[in-house]
Amino acid sequence: MTSDDIEVIGVGMHPFGRFTGHSLKDLNRVACVSALVDAGLGVQDVDAVYAANAMAGLLQGQEMIRGQSVMREIGIERIPVTNVENACASGSTALRQAVLAIRAGSADVVLVAGVEKMFVEDRGRTLAALESAGDLDVVSGIGLQFTAVYGMRLRRLVAAGRLTVDDLVAVSVKSHANGALNPYAQHRKIVSPEEVLGSRPIADPLTLLMCSSICDGAAAVVLARRGVIPSAGRPTVRVRASQAATGYTTTGNEPSLTETCATAAYAEAGLGPEDVDVAEVHDAMAPAELIAYEHLGFCGPGGAGALLGSGATQIDGSRPVNPSGGLSSRGHAVGATGLAQVAELTWQLRGEATGRQTHQPRIGLAHNNGGWLEGESAVSCVHLLERTDPWD
Amino acid sequence: MGLNAALTVPTTAQRPRDNGHALVGSRCGQCGAVSFPARAVCHRCGTPAPAEHTFATTGVLLTYTTVHVPRPGLPAPYTLGQVALDDTGPTVFGQVRMNGAEPAAGMAVRVRIGADGETPRYWFEPDRFAG
Repeated sequence: MTSDDIEVIGVGMHPFGRFTGHSLKDLNRVACVSALVDAGLGVQDVDAVYAANAMAGLLQGQEMIRGQSVMREIGIERIPVTNVENACASGSTALRQAVLAIRAGSADVVLVAGVEKMFVEDRGRTLAALESAGDLDVVSGIGLQFTAVYGMRLRRLVAAGRLTVDDLVAVSVKSHANGALNPYAQHRKIVSPEEVLGSRPIADPLTLLMCSSICDGAAAVVLARRGVIPSAGRPTVRVRASQAATGYTTTGNEPSLTETCATAAYAEAGLGPEDVDVAEVHDAMAPAELIAYEHLGFCGPGGAGALLGSGATQIDGSRPVNPSGGLSSRGHAVGATGLAQVAELTWQLRGEATGRQTHQPRIGLAHNNGGWLEGESAVSCVHLLERTDPWD
Repeated sequence: MGLNAALTVPTTAQRPRDNGHALVGSRCGQCGAVSFPARAVCHRCGTPAPAEHTFATTGVLLTYTTVHVPRPGLPAPYTLGQVALDDTGPTVFGQVRMNGAEPAAGMAVRVRIGADGETPRYWFEPDRFAG
């Protein structure tokens, strides 16, 4: 059996943003019920659940049985619920576990759910929780915030002439423009280059409007073995590749973790970067999208600025990237992000992405990284999805 | 040497991280891979119990950023850098204290070790003696 035997039969989201009155259960309920309704299933059709969350232990005190506690709210009991934490890549890691469970023959229909509630009364607690995405034994006390890691990475590329500050600004403008078209997005306001550059400095060269922000939200995906659930007469989306990898101690001369993971995903699917029609990539800071262009093989070294400038990665371009607005504009509700990417790609591949629909995509790529070790992400997951039906 | 040598390495708390003036980690006797702090098994070749190793006190600032969001006990702005320690040492993150000067990628820096109990334990400063 290969991963080709697995279909995405339902997706759903709770909008990303600030939802002060909504609990983890409320957020999770809306995403999961939406995904099950989308699949035409009831809660008792589910064989197993993989539940992704990164921060509820520190922020809500629900350190254990996070998935079980939110699932009982929607009547899911008895079946196995497995909790998955892999920092910002928790959602995609859970998806991969669901793929493996179906491939292993232990389940036919699996619900994959990601939920995060980052807005709490004290923002300092959220920042501290985010810092725990590093190896605290090594970096504790240094003040190494997520934004700083990206700021350093981008400065190095700008200094080497591989990116310009104008590129960082332009991709942030694109992110906000796409987010403005997405009803699920946290940031839905078009911004100008001047506004991006003039916004508050966060960790130079990054400014406020280049960065993702604290976010609440949830996303869910229903996977099924092919043939178990009859198609509802709409285009079928299947999983072509599901890969995960862990970061490594780098000397700076190895291929990046994303590159390593993407290469494995392309090999699994028998596809190459040239086959990707639409991508959702990990841009916790909007300019990280440019780094992903290179690492995913969409351009050669130093080619990201030119690729962006060509318009190819715009919604109406030849290879749109982050039509949802990406992490920085759709929002980055940490444990839900990887599944929000898959929801977006599924809508894109089915032709259901309304005002942000890309042109008849067949192959979608989801790239979701998490945490950091010194100089590299701690986790990378790359999934490839395919629309099997022809476009009319 | 069998992997069981990794069963009897010092605990993480027992392994020194500095000697008062330089960072201390491990260097694999088999493949030469370095790590700060020391590890029980080499991350590159899997050989257990890489030897304790004292790294160079000087290095090159690969990149840096000035952070404008304060953290508890850490007023903003502060500068962070990624430093490749000389003599094929490890690449480490740390605060960069410029004392008013402007940091620059490629500049020579020197590690400083704080007093016992001080946070952070180490940071970097411009190396005034660099040629």
